[in-house]
Formats: sequence, C-alpha cells, structure tokens
Amino acid sequence: MDERDNPVAEAAHRLNRRSFLKAALGAGGVVLLAACAPSNAPSPTTAPAKGASAPAAVATQSSAGAPTAAPAAGAAAPAKVGTETLRIAIGVDPDSLDPVGQTTTTIQNIVDYMCEPLVSLGEDSKIHPCLAESWVMAPDGKSYTFKLRQGVTFHDGAPFNADAVKLSWDRVLNKDMKVPLRSPMDVVESVTAVDASSVKFTLKNIFPPFISALAVTPYNIVSPNLAKSNPATYNDQPVGTGPYVYKSRTKGSELVLTRNEKYWGKLPYYQTVQFKIVPEAATRESLVLANQAEIIISPPMSDIPKLLSNSQVKVLLAPSNRTIFMAFDVSRSTPVKEKKFRQALNYAVDKEGIIKTILYGAGDVMDAPLSPMLFGYSKVGAYAYDPAKAKQMIKEGGWEGTKLKMYYSTGRYVGDAAFAQAIIGNFKDVGIECEGSTMDWPTYQATAITTAEKSTADLHVLGWAPGFLDAAQAMVQFQKSNWPPAGLSSSHYTNPEVEDLLDKAIKNTNEQERAQQYAAANKIVMDDAPWLFLWVQKFPIIYSAKIKGVGSIPNEKFSCIYAEPV
Amino acid sequence: MLKYIVQRLIAAVPTLLGVAIVVFMMLRMLPGDPARTIAGAQAGEADVEMIRHSLGLDQPVGTQFVTFITRLAHLDLGQSARSSQPVGQEVMARLPYTVELALVAIVLATAIGVIAGVIAATHHNSRVDYLVSAASLFGVSMPVYWLGLMLIVVFAINLQWFPAAGADQPLSFVLPSFTLASFVVGLIARMTRSSMLEVLRQDYVQTARSKGLHERVVLYVHALRNALLPVVTIVGLQFGTLLGGAVLTETVFGWPGIGQLLVDSIFARDYPVVQGITLTFSSLFILVNLAVDVLYAYVDPRIHYGS
Repeated sequence: MDERDNPVAEAAHRLNRRSFLKAALGAGGVVLLAACAPSNAPSPTTAPAKGASAPAAVATQSSAGAPTAAPAAGAAAPAKVGTETLRIAIGVDPDSLDPVGQTTTTIQNIVDYMCEPLVSLGEDSKIHPCLAESWVMAPDGKSYTFKLRQGVTFHDGAPFNADAVKLSWDRVLNKDMKVPLRSPMDVVESVTAVDASSVKFTLKNIFPPFISALAVTPYNIVSPNLAKSNPATYNDQPVGTGPYVYKSRTKGSELVLTRNEKYWGKLPYYQTVQFKIVPEAATRESLVLANQAEIIISPPMSDIPKLLSNSQVKVLLAPSNRTIFMAFDVSRSTPVKEKKFRQALNYAVDKEGIIKTILYGAGDVMDAPLSPMLFGYSKVGAYAYDPAKAKQMIKEGGWEGTKLKMYYSTGRYVGDAAFAQAIIGNFKDVGIECEGSTMDWPTYQATAITTAEKSTADLHVLGWAPGFLDAAQAMVQFQKSNWPPAGLSSSHYTNPEVEDLLDKAIKNTNEQERAQQYAAANKIVMDDAPWLFLWVQKFPIIYSAKIKGVGSIPNEKFSCIYAEPV
Repeated sequence: MLKYIVQRLIAAVPTLLGVAIVVFMMLRMLPGDPARTIAGAQAGEADVEMIRHSLGLDQPVGTQFVTFITRLAHLDLGQSARSSQPVGQEVMARLPYTVELALVAIVLATAIGVIAGVIAATHHNSRVDYLVSAASLFGVSMPVYWLGLMLIVVFAINLQWFPAAGADQPLSFVLPSFTLASFVVGLIARMTRSSMLEVLRQDYVQTARSKGLHERVVLYVHALRNALLPVVTIVGLQFGTLLGGAVLTETVFGWPGIGQLLVDSIFARDYPVVQGITLTFSSLFILVNLAVDVLYAYVDPRIHYGS
C-alpha cells in the first residue's frame, strides 16, 4: 500500500509537492501584501515591552490639574456639553484609586479627574489655585494659611470646608495609613481649621517648596465621609470634588467615569470618560488608528515619524520633568572616580544622534542636571559630541584601554536597552571597553541602586522625574544624605560646595536668592559630571484629529478634561 | 469510578502543597525588594519600611512560611501587596476572562483541527494533506505576539470589523481567541492526522469497509472514535495550559485574564498574588487532568479504573 512503489504515483507526488509549495508561497505573499499595504499599519515593537514595566513615561501620571480657564470662567460662558464618551488608552492597571495610595503618575492622572488638590500644577508648569483660592505664608515661613473656595460640594453631597480638608489631611498624615509618597509632607506639624473657610498648615521648619509639593495627587482632598469610613485603609471608589465621578471598573480592562453635573468649575464636554488598560504599546497605537480610542499615550517610539505624517492623528511630544542619564559610581576604583574621565565620557556620547535614531526625536539634550520645567533650573550648557576631545582627555589621563561595567534596564525608560548599546559603541570609539548587562526592574533597582560596598558596576542607566517641579527634589540626587539605602543617589557623589549651596537653598524663602543658589549648584554639578548627562525625555500623546483641547502637564500627565470634538 | 476520583483528589493535596512550597521559596530567592518596588522610587524610607512591615516581609523567612501555610489551611490566600484587596477576589475577577478565552480557543481549535486532521489523513500525501501540514506548522511556529498584531492591523484597523483590544465589546473575544487557537489547532490537526493514519491501517477498518458500510460511517463512527484517544489527551492538556493564562495573547489584546495579572505581579514582586495564582492554576490543571482521565473511560471501554 506504499505509494513509493508506484513510480507514476511518485511523480504525481512530486508535482503535487512542488505545486503546493508554489501555492503556499503565493498565498504567503498575498497575506504579506494585505498586511503591509495600508499606510497606517503600526510596526510591532522590537522589544516586547511588558505592561507593568512599561517605559516610565507611562508610569508617570500627573493629576489632570484644572487648567487655568476653569475656576474663574465657571459662570461666564455656558459650557458646551455633550453625551459622548471619550476613550483614553493607557498602559498600566491602577493598583488602588485612593489618592493616598498613589505612586504611578498615569494613575494619578486618572485620580485627578475625581479628586482635586488645594493647589494644582498647570500646563504652564506654574502652580494655580484649585480648591484653595489664595494662600499666605507667615513671615517666619513656618506656616501657610489657605482661603478655601466657596460653594463646592463633594460627589456624595458633603460640603467642602475647612473641616473636610482637615479630615482628609489627618488621613494623609495618619501613621497607620500606607502613603508611599508621604515623605515631603513629613514637614507638616499640623493642619488646623482656622474657620469654616480657612485652613492653616503649620510646618516643623521652613520649607520653601511647600506650595509646589502640595500640588501632588496623594494629597488631593477626599470627602469627610470617606475619611471617616476609611481612616487607615484604601477606598477604591474615591469621592472627591472633581469634574468626574467614579462609575465602574473592570480590573485589568477599563475604568469608567461620568461627568459631575454639579461641578464647581466649567463642565467638561464629554459625559463619559473610559480609560482602557492596554499594556502593549503597539496595540494602544492601533486603537487610535482604528478609531477605537480618541487619545493614547506612549506608542512605540519607532512609529512616531509615521504618526507625524498621518493626517488622521495628531502627535504631541510633551515636555516633561524626566531626565535620563547614566549615573557613574564615583566610589569605584576604576577611573570613573576621576572627574576628567567622566567629563571625557560625556564628550564621547553622541546624544543628538541617539535622540534622533533611537528616540525618534522624543528628547532634548540635557544642558543642566535637571529638567527646564523645574524651579531652580538654569542653563549651564550641554557637553558637545566631541570624540576627538574625549580621546585626547583619556590619553592625557592615561586611561586608554580601561574596562568598564554598565547596567541598563530594559523596557523601563524609552529605548533604554537600545541607547545603552549605542553608548557602549560610542565608548568603544574612544578606546574604552564597556560590558553591559540587564535585568528586570525590581532586580535592577536592588542591584544598581545600592551602597558603595555592594556596588558592582561603574555606571548604570536611570531616569528621574521629581514628584514636584522644584530643584529641591531634583538636586537630592547629588547629596550625601540621599545615598542608598536612604535614597536613590546611586552615584555616591558629594561636593562640599554643592552641599552647602543646597543646604542654604532649602531654607531660603527668598525666591530669587534660592534660584541663584541652585544656579550655582547646577554649574558645579555639571562640571563635576557625576552623571553621563543624556536628555530630558518627552512624553508622547497621540490623539485623533477629530478632537481638540488635548494638552499636557510637564510631569508626564495628559491634560484633556476639556477636550471636545473639533 | 467514584473511588478512583476521590483517590485522585486526595492525592492532589500533597501536590498542591508541594507547589505552594516551591513557589514560596522561589519568590523569596528572587532579587529585588518588594516593598521598595511597590512603594516606588520616590517613596521615603520610612514609608517603604511601613509597607515592608504590612507585608510581613520584615519577619524571618521561617515565620513567613508558617503564616503562609496556616493561612492556606484556612483557604486564605492573603491580600495583594499592591491593591490590598484579597487575593481570591483579584483572581476571581480575572479568571472568567481567561476561562472564556481558553474555552473558545479550545473549541475552535478542536473543531477545525480534528476535521482538518481527518481530511489530511484520508487524503494522505495529496495537496490537501500538505496544506494541512503546512498550516499546522505555521500555527505552531508563528509567534503569537506577531500574529496577534497582524490580525489587529488587518481586522481592526483596515477592515474595522473587530475591536483591537479590551474585553468590553461583544465581539472583543474574536481576535484574541483566534490568535490563541492558532497554536493549538496545529497540534490537534497533526495529532489527529497521525492517529487516524494509524487507525486506518488497522484490520477492523478493512473489515468495516468489506462489510459494505458507507465510507463516512467507517471514518467517523469506527475509525475516528478510536483515533481520538491521543487527541483527547492533547485537548485536555492544552486546555489546562490555556487556563494558566495565555500571557502573550492577553498582553497584545489587553485582555484582562490571570496570565497578565501573574506576569504583572511577578514584575511588581506582589508575592501573595503570584502564590495565589500559581495555586489556582495548579488546582485547575489537576482537575482538568482528572476530567480527561475520566473521559478516557467513556471514550475507550477497554480502560477501567479501580479493581
């Protein structure tokens, strides 16, 4: 019964196989053509980025602070309102929706729709009144009194007043409550209701960035009823004063909010906002291309050029507070402990080239140790790409042939694995051998950010987006008191001049002097080069060309509460 | 039969205990600090310490283990380190989605795979046979990740027939289950084909034909029934595996199943959830295997459990 005995059948066999192969190739070709033909097909990401460790651009979410227009204009022009749903796709699933439990900026962004702060960070990176109309700092700088907005009620009907603020803050400061981002507020001694519409914050010591630090989501005000029922536990259906109310949630899939018709400010256009949880960047992008979402954040970077030329969508590369760098561990015995060597390496890296080819334009070269969005930033000047100079400096120091060890993360920051390789290549071009290795984020955090004794690499990739836009939060990276395990200053760098300037600045209530002190510190740090200064990352927001009113807040948050159809 | 089932269920207990111990140990051998990971980079040391204490991670490993086992004895899987919700609740919120996807994928794959396998076997070495073999190879080797994205491009963006992601629309399950089925259908088709080829060589098939029975009866009543045993094994095992959550498919399509939750929890070092999901999955797998074994007894009268 074996067909191989039959030569005729065998020949027919062969013909069958050959013609079959031809047919298969033809079919395959047709499929490929069908898939490649449409001009707006997204390309799969090269490195499957995991949802949870999605680029920190996604991880940082800011509260959708009430834009400047909202408070005053409330009564003036009747707001245009509709019944449609706005669909926004993000990459992380909220752990908790309670303001006090917040860590990730993207989730903070969502919580801001429901709960509001006393003062908010605006799109212009300035602090604006929100639930507090005005505030006054006492002459000694140790207390602030806020005048609260009148006529505001919480979603559950409770009135917004000084008592509500006090209860909400008692909750934040409650030692039994888990508040990961509490530490800036450790400076608060007490919160007291002066009268029904004034609240006084008494501080333990002078803290010039206090107002800036207050505009952060974990301190958003929740209803007194919630504060009473959940004094030390999270409540995942937050009740606040915001323009949207919590409606429903399917974990891992979506979160739905509906408009607060009794909102004190201007009413948003969209009646419903649906946040879709889509961990895969390429899939998020396909949502906006397929008209299944109006706004998405963080598409695959390699698709930015294509999206820029696509008339169906608009690309917003938002300025942010996130600096990307490689921290040198100056406590090591290799030449990274020498300032000139570190400067040489700074000259050796082609930052513009990497931004162009790996980040597709989503970055600005760092010209200071912090982002331009912060108070206290002053332009010092970037290290130019000058490999000849780098080689010269290395030769003068006798450091040719040095071998370095580098750690880099994968999928945590935009293009991290790719640009680390590019930088290793740049180092090679100036005669420095560098070996790189990677690991998953929690392991990375534990391995790269560690004490001088346990340190095992000469440099490692990091990103830093300060919780509030003040140099105080950024310059901690250059202070001895912030060396691991107390903090994240993994370069183990310290300079007495810088320490002195920073100590003075943190106690100085005169804004101009403070700015000057930070400017001086910036200059010294840039020169000392404890970091390989790379770039300030931009936060990509892609939205349908059919809507307008989509903006951003410079702490990696999207600002689209007042989005509306074109 | 009942005695057999009960015996198997009792034997499952030490297996699950073993799984619990292994997962517990492996998690604690992972580098990285769960408290710091959950608190985030910006948290102050005191707040990280507080989280560590609330998770019981500041206690010696032995104590942690005893607490874990005691809780397990009361069927208490603990609380998620990230959301503070009971692990059981977190798992139950996601499990129906995974089950839905797994069921649809398996039914689809079995229906298509068995029919394709039978056709391939009966037209052995013809064009159809090669087509089925090639398609099976394609299904088994094509990265689910790529295939899913291509399906999204064609059917969601260009044709706009189906949603690209999420589980909120009635047609959301189509693309993910097709993607998931692509791997299994290849396996089932190949297994059916080779099993059928074996059976078609048997004497009783020849006998049935010479008795004058219609070819379709010979194929489907006599031959296929006997060829199905190995196929049942594969279907059962694959269903069990799919219940563990098809992580890649769930990630590509934003499908809220437990596979994605498991990987997220590992990356976030959410120990209780990882432990809870592994135990859930192991239990389900054991139950599915048991069901498959029981099914054998009905499919093949020669198989007899018990004395």
